[in-house]
Amino acid sequence: MTPSDPTVVLETDALEVARSSSGEGARLGPLDWRVSRGELWAVAGPQGSGKTALLETLAGLLPAAGGGVRVCGRSVHGLGDDEAALRETRRRMGLVFDGEGRLFSGLDVAENLVLPRCYHQNEAPSEALAALEPLIRHLQLESLLSRSPASLGRSWSRRVALARCLALGPELLLLDNPLAGLDAVHLRWWKGFLAEALAGHPVFGGTPLAIIATTDAVRPYLALHPRFALVDGGQWRILPDVDSVLAVTGEDGLPQPL
Amino acid sequence: MAEPPSPSRASGAARGPGDPPGILSQWIDEGRSLTRLGAFTLITLSTARLRFRENSRVMLPRIFGEIHRCGVRLLPIVGFLGVVLGIVFVGQMLSLMEQVGAGKFTGTLMVTVFLREMAPMTAGLVVLARVGTAAVIDLGTARALGEVEALEALGIDPIHYLVVPRVAGFAAAVAALSLYLLVVSLGSGYAFAYARGLKASPVEFLTQVAGAMSALDFPLLLLKTLMFGTLTGLVICYHGLARPLTLAEVGAATTRTVAVCVVGCLVIDAAFIVVYLLL
Repeated sequence: MTPSDPTVVLETDALEVARSSSGEGARLGPLDWRVSRGELWAVAGPQGSGKTALLETLAGLLPAAGGGVRVCGRSVHGLGDDEAALRETRRRMGLVFDGEGRLFSGLDVAENLVLPRCYHQNEAPSEALAALEPLIRHLQLESLLSRSPASLGRSWSRRVALARCLALGPELLLLDNPLAGLDAVHLRWWKGFLAEALAGHPVFGGTPLAIIATTDAVRPYLALHPRFALVDGGQWRILPDVDSVLAVTGEDGLPQPL
Repeated sequence: MAEPPSPSRASGAARGPGDPPGILSQWIDEGRSLTRLGAFTLITLSTARLRFRENSRVMLPRIFGEIHRCGVRLLPIVGFLGVVLGIVFVGQMLSLMEQVGAGKFTGTLMVTVFLREMAPMTAGLVVLARVGTAAVIDLGTARALGEVEALEALGIDPIHYLVVPRVAGFAAAVAALSLYLLVVSLGSGYAFAYARGLKASPVEFLTQVAGAMSALDFPLLLLKTLMFGTLTGLVICYHGLARPLTLAEVGAATTRTVAVCVVGCLVIDAAFIVVYLLL
């Protein structure tokens, strides 16, 4: 891949998502894709179509069956033994897992939040917590800090997982089905958050983030004017506008098998 | 983290779903598992060496926490076990040897049986039983719930964050608890035998024990117990973390860990007998 536009945060070059964790067999792709700062991509597809595997491949957690991924100009795969470079690249993106966000069950909420910062910047927990205080307040997590993840509901767990990702100041956010199963209050909050992050809110570093969100249904995203892509049956399609999205998904916004 | 195929999947393709594994395929599975454990050991040791000073404000509390969990919290149970072993073995041996006129061999017997064999093995087994099994369940559950991938997604090296502190904690705990068990069992055993009419004074008893020791006994005790603890920590982390697990597989991984640790410690023990024979 050649050096690219500085606003481009993520580039894929004929990326093929693998069928298994060993990297064998292509499940999805090839993808030639560019994601820039301030862009929200809604990647829609039915359950089991490979959306989560795509995000994990972009994050470097799964090996690619073919092609490559660059985040902020640095390759995510194919770094060989350069674990330090891979870790540094991973710091520039945040992945919020599906469901409850995979919080660390042995740590309380505050410890979950400060861990990435303490680890990477060698800070004491109290220092990291003080530095993260604006973020914690903005995400309305102050009252949850001493709670264990098991005592949180799914919506709040997901928001804590989001805060844990944002603690490192990523430039790219990968959100796995972030709006699924939320009540109206949390849904409104997440839409507000997405709008702020795309605009470049000071709490998130002041520069617009690039966001990729997978989804089972496209309707909740329409008001945010995202760019849409569809995955299913191993195929990848970038759709130019909302009308073409609804033409594929139907008026209910639920992706149909391609 | 590397995700090698599980042994059952690796060699089970040729068998029917309900067929018991053959002896040959079991040996092949064991060989593959040992190879992967060896690779895991090398990765862990190189991570510990290369990243020893990194992230100290996170890693040092984790290492001290593991030492506390594996060592300090076991002091009461190991102390109790030391008293019981002292009364049952040391006390009876001291009385019996004096009765048959073999009192001059007391020191040799204490050093051979307790310092070289019983204290390290007992401490290793207690740490494995009380902390090791729980650690496999902790790590296996974290693996099954996807928390290891969450660490990786945050750029945190799971080997550095999860494995290195545990291995260091187990190694330090087994070494320290062995020494503690040795002191308590010799002291309580002597007190029991003295109460039953043993004529040797404490100074005479200690002089006999010290005289039976070679200069290398304590360094070898330290090396042996560090190896027991390191092996235990590595096997626990390997079975808990290195393979993809489902929640249903955590129990089986725990029992397998105990079996591998016991066999591994016995093999190390046997290897040290050769060293002692050469002294």
